[in-house]
Amino acid sequence: MSTRSWLKGRIQAMLSDFENGIGVDPAVRDELIEDLAEWQSQEIPEYGRLQRLGPWPPALPTDVFRFRRIASQPAHEDVRVFRSSGTTASERSVHAFRDLSLYDFAARVAARHMLFPDIERLRLVVLAPHEDEAPNASLEYMLARFAEWFGTDSIWAWSSGALDLELLSGALRSAEASEEPIAVLGTSFAFVHAEDGLGDQVFALPPGSRVMQTGGYKGRSREVDKQVLLEAIGARYGVPAPWIINEFGATELSSQLYETTLREDIYGGPGPRRLWVPPWVRATPVDPETLEPVEGNAVGILRIDDAANLDSVCCIQTADLAQRLADGIVVLGRAPGATPRGCSLAADQALGAR
Amino acid sequence: MTQDAEAIRARAEDVAQAGVWLRSVSTKERVRWLSKASSTLARRAEDACAALSEATGLSAPMVRWATRTTLDTISEETLLELAAQASKRSSPSSKPIAMLSLVLAGNVFTAAVRGILVPLLLGVPVLAKASSKDSLFPAMLLDAIRDSDPRLGASLDLVTFTGGDAALEAAFVERADAVSAYGSDETIAAMALRLGAKPLIAHGHGVSVAYCDAEALHARAIDETIERLALDISAYDQRGCLSPQLVYVEETRHMTALSFARRLCEEGLGPMGLSLPRGALPIATGAVQAQWRGLAEVEGDLLRGDAYAVAVRPSHPIRWSPGYRNVSLSPVSGIDDALHAMKPIGANLKCIGASLNSVSSLRDRLAQSRALGAYVCALGEMQIPALDAPADGRPIWYGLFRP
Repeated sequence: MSTRSWLKGRIQAMLSDFENGIGVDPAVRDELIEDLAEWQSQEIPEYGRLQRLGPWPPALPTDVFRFRRIASQPAHEDVRVFRSSGTTASERSVHAFRDLSLYDFAARVAARHMLFPDIERLRLVVLAPHEDEAPNASLEYMLARFAEWFGTDSIWAWSSGALDLELLSGALRSAEASEEPIAVLGTSFAFVHAEDGLGDQVFALPPGSRVMQTGGYKGRSREVDKQVLLEAIGARYGVPAPWIINEFGATELSSQLYETTLREDIYGGPGPRRLWVPPWVRATPVDPETLEPVEGNAVGILRIDDAANLDSVCCIQTADLAQRLADGIVVLGRAPGATPRGCSLAADQALGAR
Repeated sequence: MTQDAEAIRARAEDVAQAGVWLRSVSTKERVRWLSKASSTLARRAEDACAALSEATGLSAPMVRWATRTTLDTISEETLLELAAQASKRSSPSSKPIAMLSLVLAGNVFTAAVRGILVPLLLGVPVLAKASSKDSLFPAMLLDAIRDSDPRLGASLDLVTFTGGDAALEAAFVERADAVSAYGSDETIAAMALRLGAKPLIAHGHGVSVAYCDAEALHARAIDETIERLALDISAYDQRGCLSPQLVYVEETRHMTALSFARRLCEEGLGPMGLSLPRGALPIATGAVQAQWRGLAEVEGDLLRGDAYAVAVRPSHPIRWSPGYRNVSLSPVSGIDDALHAMKPIGANLKCIGASLNSVSSLRDRLAQSRALGAYVCALGEMQIPALDAPADGRPIWYGLFRP
């Protein structure tokens, strides 16, 4: 058995255990991450160049995915290549997959646990392009799988770069009439477009309906404060706040993090709104200088060690600011890419340009 | 904070009126006044070192160094010399403009000194705007100028207001004959659009580089090269447009770029961190630093210190660092190779700090260059521009005289 097969088997076993309600021992996860990183540092020269600074394997900055191919397999073995969106940089993050089975497994069990823990299938209304329109986008890929795994029938209310308000409105009215719960899933900027386009239409979606929003704005709509958008969505769709949750994902990862409120509203033990970290993932705010975990709930930069990232690099250093909250984390947003360089930024700030 | 457009308008009017008196006195009187104000400011800045450190995010020793080296460039002699140069090189019939509105940059706090003193010296009253968090030093400069001569001091005022408010911005600029501002190319373009026909003295996005020739790496010169380069990198925690982001090194048989980088760390940036410690790293900058350093490690060699890092990597593509003493060092085969590597920076290149033997060669080549118009100075002096050093390839008095 090759090292890769051995590692893949261990990852699958961990995901299966979780799916079957068997607890995952963090020490076992840490050992798996260690072994994955060791193998990846041999297979991927770029990762092999990173120096180990602390007790954990080095984390590869997400920027590297913009400039270098990070994959253990040659390009001809790729089955799918995800590219990030992004209008601010000329290069986009690229994550090539040899095998999507771990991605699918991780996405399915995490969504089942956090987004659909109470219902086998329901109608999905998607405010994002269909996979056919965006074959290189990991979010659209995931939403298409959700339709297969969790959907009865699904409606894509975003096509050719725009929200189809009539289709959306019709789907929401139809849900009201049928009294069957639905899930509205989409990007934050699509929800803002919906807010801007739906005028005074409000809906009372049936109990059990839920909303999942994800991603930032990247200049594709006006930016709306997170809490303001949460309240607006609640008022617009008639969905209680705990049933509106955020998903945190990234092109460079294979796993997703979800806010806790929906699950906690169903099963009790309500805590603060925070991101749940799947047990096969280690999400840690680290000190930007030492790259070691920060103490307590201090703000750090988010490092994510995702054991489902088999054929790229599992230890990823993001540029997101984050802090621990209870047993989860809160992502505070992306650090501004343009840093004080030369004389520009400070004056831009003085003039309110950024 | 001045959040009232009418109040800003009234203060602009007062400044413009005070300009009549400013222009009526002789250059020598203005020189005495400004020189005295500079001495006063030097004493007060020393007393206020802790507060300035807090306001700027620089360490106290760095604040002391910055105020001392900046104010050392101001003397009766240098002021007189500058006034004479400006008079000689401008048209005999040209008169100073009636008033300047000046948006101060916040990343290098002492930049206010040249920005404000030069127009006042030439008889141009100034209404300056600082961001509220960066207003301590400009306010101290204002006080020193007014205390040194209240009547002349009335020709300078300082306002702070929330950026992005069109009514306040309009009140700030409408009385001025010209506006001087620092900002990104987009900000400058947007401001030019709002100003219409009013002249804009634009200081767009800028970065600087250093060049070390083979001679500077020779055993007899390398200690001084390292000391001077480390100072340029460390000054203002590399936040200024005159801070070197990239260092081009002419490798020799005896000294590779990597071995030079090691010595720069051990003998330059390390000790500099003790004598002029870096200020606290803002978390958002830290996030960018982590990305930059990781990418540097992937693409070349990264040497990390306690509060600095040197990346040794090819000159292309350029990977801009977040500052805060993170610098790239690239091998080149000589001066022309270095200039070729700088070419993509174009008009954004503000300054080249060079080892002494190369200063004049670089100046000669830049005089012929259509792509680059940077100011060239010796290593160790990048962050200490002389009072009469050009800004953005133009004389420091550019825009202060009527055509």
